[in-house]
Amino acid sequence: MLAEGLRILIAACVCWLNFVTIDVFFGLPKEGGVSGATAIAQEIERKGGAIHGGYMMGNIVSSPDASAGTLLASCGVYAAGIPGGLFAAVLVYIGNRICYDPGYAGTTGTITATFIVYAFTQAGFLASDFIAGMIIAILTIQGISHVHASRLLATLWRWRS
Amino acid sequence: MAVLIALAVVAAIAGYAAARVLLERNTMCRLPFLNVVSFAVTGALMLLLPHPLTIVACAAYFVGSTLESNAIASTWAGGIRKHE
Repeated sequence: MLAEGLRILIAACVCWLNFVTIDVFFGLPKEGGVSGATAIAQEIERKGGAIHGGYMMGNIVSSPDASAGTLLASCGVYAAGIPGGLFAAVLVYIGNRICYDPGYAGTTGTITATFIVYAFTQAGFLASDFIAGMIIAILTIQGISHVHASRLLATLWRWRS
Repeated sequence: MAVLIALAVVAAIAGYAAARVLLERNTMCRLPFLNVVSFAVTGALMLLLPHPLTIVACAAYFVGSTLESNAIASTWAGGIRKHE
């Protein structure tokens, strides 16, 4: 049984990989989904960041994407196991449509995260570790340095395309 | 006990991100920090109220706050952009 702090850090890495992989796979760094996301990207670029990373950060702000999906799936599994996570996927799908997002990154991310979190709960982790872990993961992208995060995401986008 | 540590992490990140929102002068650059606050509040809600119906509350809060950020950013950017 690992210590709580270590479990949260491992969960943060798993959440980070899940949401960044799915967002990049679904092409969130390609362009801004709404004019607000594009404006955020241009502002980040003006400060010295990379435009494609900025698009992804703008899209994360503007609509529930795989990062929101990972958080809500963790919440769902914490409260009600796999059915809770799948219920969260339905809510994320509705949320995407409310936010004028035609994509499926959020819904896909919620479903994959549900099974990942459930698998880790079978290995001695708690779903609450993934709630805290996902918040650490989003902090590294949106909350520390926009310039550096956007450059990192743009590098990942270049690899994909 | 484990939930208490998770809650402490979530609360600390919420406080940090809220401070960054207040310190940042540029409205567009405030929104990603606000996004972190929304994540942290959603997580704290679930950790404090572990009940299946809290999933609905979390999703409602998160989607609502995202839609607000979307509206603020899009209004600031000049309204609806027409796609061809």
